Amino acid sequence: MPDSIGSEAIICTGLAKTHPGGIEAVAPIDLRLMAGQTTALIGPSGCGKSTLLRLIAGLDQPDAGQVIILGMTPEKARRRAAISVAFQDPSLLPWLTVRGNLGLARRLARQRPDPVRTLRLIELVGLAGFADTRPAALSGGMRQRAAIARALVTQPQVLLLDEPFGAVDELTRRQLARDLPPLWQEAGTTTLLVTHSIAEAVTLSDRIIVLSSRPARIVADIDVPLPRPRPADLAEDAGFRAIAAKALAALSALT
Amino acid sequence: MRQGARVAGGMLGVAILLIGWQMLAQALYQGRLIAGPVGIVEWLGRDPGLALRALARTLGNAAAGFALGNLAAILLAGIAFLWPRLQDLVTGLALVAFCLPLIATGPILRVLMGPGEGPQIVLAALAVQYTTLIPLLTGLRAVPAAWLDLIHSYGRGRWVELAHIRARAALPYLFAGLQIGAPAAVLGAMVGEFTGAERGLGVLTIRYMRDLDVPALWGVALLAAGASLAAYWAIGGLARLVLDTRPPVLLAPPMRQLRTGRVVGGLTLALAVLLLWWGGLWLTGLNPFLAKGPWDVLAALVWAPDATQMRAALFGALRESAGLAVPGYLAGLAAGAGLAILLTLLPGAGPLVMPVAVALRAIPIVTTGPLIVLFLGRGALGTITLVAVMVFFPTLVACLHGLRQAPGHILDLLRVHAAGPLSQMIHVRIPAMLPALFAAARISVPTAILAVTVVEWLATGRGLGSLMALAASTSDFRMLWSAVALITLLAVLCHAVVAGLERRVLARYAPEQLRQ
Repeated sequence: MPDSIGSEAIICTGLAKTHPGGIEAVAPIDLRLMAGQTTALIGPSGCGKSTLLRLIAGLDQPDAGQVIILGMTPEKARRRAAISVAFQDPSLLPWLTVRGNLGLARRLARQRPDPVRTLRLIELVGLAGFADTRPAALSGGMRQRAAIARALVTQPQVLLLDEPFGAVDELTRRQLARDLPPLWQEAGTTTLLVTHSIAEAVTLSDRIIVLSSRPARIVADIDVPLPRPRPADLAEDAGFRAIAAKALAALSALT
Repeated sequence: MRQGARVAGGMLGVAILLIGWQMLAQALYQGRLIAGPVGIVEWLGRDPGLALRALARTLGNAAAGFALGNLAAILLAGIAFLWPRLQDLVTGLALVAFCLPLIATGPILRVLMGPGEGPQIVLAALAVQYTTLIPLLTGLRAVPAAWLDLIHSYGRGRWVELAHIRARAALPYLFAGLQIGAPAAVLGAMVGEFTGAERGLGVLTIRYMRDLDVPALWGVALLAAGASLAAYWAIGGLARLVLDTRPPVLLAPPMRQLRTGRVVGGLTLALAVLLLWWGGLWLTGLNPFLAKGPWDVLAALVWAPDATQMRAALFGALRESAGLAVPGYLAGLAAGAGLAILLTLLPGAGPLVMPVAVALRAIPIVTTGPLIVLFLGRGALGTITLVAVMVFFPTLVACLHGLRQAPGHILDLLRVHAAGPLSQMIHVRIPAMLPALFAAARISVPTAILAVTVVEWLATGRGLGSLMALAASTSDFRMLWSAVALITLLAVLCHAVVAGLERRVLARYAPEQLRQ
C-alpha cells in the first residue's frame, strides 16, 4: 500500500493557475484523493482538466496553492518513480519499438528491465504480436494503448491518465475498462482519470469530480459505490444510470 | 532471369549513353570543348597513377576537413544547446566562418601554414561546419513537448532529456548536414589546392587549364564529381542503416530572431570577430608582414598614404564581381524555382526528377567551372552561368521539396471545388514552397560569392577573384586581408538581408517555423 499521510494519496490545497495572457485556467481548488481509489475528472472542453492534472503531476507550476503526493512534493514523488502519466498524445518515441518504449520508461524510473511484466502488459492492452513494432506502423488507438501500457509498466503508486481512451475503438475500450481496474486495485494504485465520457467515468472510477467551465472549479463530487469487478453490461444497471444521470445533471447545469 | 534482363538492359543503356556522348563530342566540337569517353579513358591510361594519387590526396584532405569541421560543429552545437545565451554568438561566428571567401582565405592560410596539406584541410572544415551546426541545433530543439513531459514525469532532467530524446531526435538532422557536407568538403579541399598546393585534383585542374587539355579537364571534373557523389550516397546509406529511413532533405532552418535584438546582437558578434582575429594573431605571434590585424586593414583602407588607390582597386573589383554574382544568383534562384514548379505541374515528373536533382546537388559545381568557361568563354556569360548553376541545384531540390509540403487537406478542398492543377499551384503549392525557396536563397549567398571569385581567380582575370590572385602572387597581404574582411562583411550582411526577408515570408506563410 502507498505510504501516504493517513489514507490520502493526493492533497491539493488552494491550487490555482493562470496562463500567460491572463487566462485563468484553474480557480483555487481543494481536493483530497484517497489512496487506492480511482477518481474521474469530467467537465466541458477546455475547462482546465488537463491543466489540473499537469499541476498535480508537477509538470506545470501553480500560481497559488500546493500539491502533496504520498506526503511528498510532486517533484520528489516523480524522482521516486511514484507517478506515471499517460498523456493525451501517446508520445511514443518513434525510433523505439513498443517493447523499447516500455523498457525506456523503466530505465527512466531507475528500475531494472522486467521483460515478463512488459510483455504481459503489452498483451493486456491488446498488442500481442506488436511488441517489436515501431509506433509508425500502429494505428492511433494502438499507440494510445501502448502508452497506457507504458504508464503501467513502472508499477506507479499514482497513475494520472489524460483522456487515454480518446482514440481507442469501442470494443477495445470496453476490454480495457474490464482489464485495467483490477490491475490498479491489485497494486493499490491511486488513479486520476481525465475524461469526456460520463459512461467511462462511471465504469472506471470510485468517485467522479465534475469541473465547471474555465476557470475550473469543483461543482459536483459524486460517489460511485458500484461493486467491483464491474460487469460488461454495467450500463444496464440501475445504479449506473442513476450516477450517470447525476453527473449529466451537474454538467448540464453549467450551460 | 528478370534480374539478369535488368542488368543487361542497364548495361545497354550505359553503352548507348557512352556512344552518344562520344559522337556528340566529335560531331559538335571535334573534341575541343567536350571530351568524349574515349579521350577521358586515354587520359587516364596515359598516367593512371597520377590521377589516382591526386584523387587520393584530395579525398584524404577532404575527409580530414570533413571530420574536423563536423566535430567542431557538434561541439559548437553542444555549447549553444547547453548555454542558450551563447547560441546567437556561436551561430553568428559559425556564419562568419562560413562566409569567409575560401579563395582568398586559401592563400592566407598557405603563407601562415606553409606548403603542406593544412590549408586544404582547414578550407574543407570551414566549408562543412555551418551546414552541420544549424540543422543539428534545430534537431536538438525540434522535439515535441510531450516527449519532454514524459521524461519530466519520471523526475528526470536535462541530461536524460539529451541522452534519451534530443540526441536521437537530432540524428536525422545530423545526417542531413553530413550529407550536404561531404561534397562541400571535396569542394573546400579543391579550392585549397587551387591556391598553391603541390598535389591533388585542384592542382591538376590548374595545370590542365593552362595546357587547355580538354580530356584531362573532363577527367578531373568527373573524378571529383564521382567522388562527391559516392561520399554523398555512402552517408545516405549509413543514415538509412542507422535511422531506418532516409535523412530528411535539408532545408536550412530559418535564422532565429536574435534574443538580444538586432543591433546589440550584431555589435556583439562584430566585437567577438575582431577579438578572435586580433587575439589569434597575438597568440600565434605570426610575422606582421604576413598576418594583418583589424587595425592594419582599417589603416590600409582609410588613412594609409595609398588608401585611396587601395579603395579604388578593391571597390572597383567588387563592383565588377557583384555585377556578375547578383544576376547569376537571381537567375539560379529563378531557374531552380521555375523548373521545380514546371516539374510539379507535369504529372509524375517531380518524384522522378527529385533523386536526380538531389544527386546533382552533390556535385561540387565549382570544380567543373573550367569546363563552363571553356564552353561559354571568359566573358560575363560564362561567369554568370557558373554562379547560376551553383545556386540552381540546391534551389531546385529545396523548391521541389517545398512544393510537396503543400497540405493535403487544403489541396483536397480545392479539388472539391474543381480547381485545376494551375490554380492549386498558385493558391496552395507556391505559398507552401516559399519557405524552402528563401532557405535556399539564404544558404546560396556564400555559394554565389565562392562561385564568382573562383571563376575570376581561375579564368577570367577580372573582379575580386583576380584581384586576390594578383595580391597573393605579389605578396600584397594588406590587399588580401582587406579583401577577405570586406567580402566576409558583405556576405554576412547579404545573408542577414535575405534572412530578414525570409522571416517576413515565414511570418505569413509558415509561422510555425519561426517558433523554435
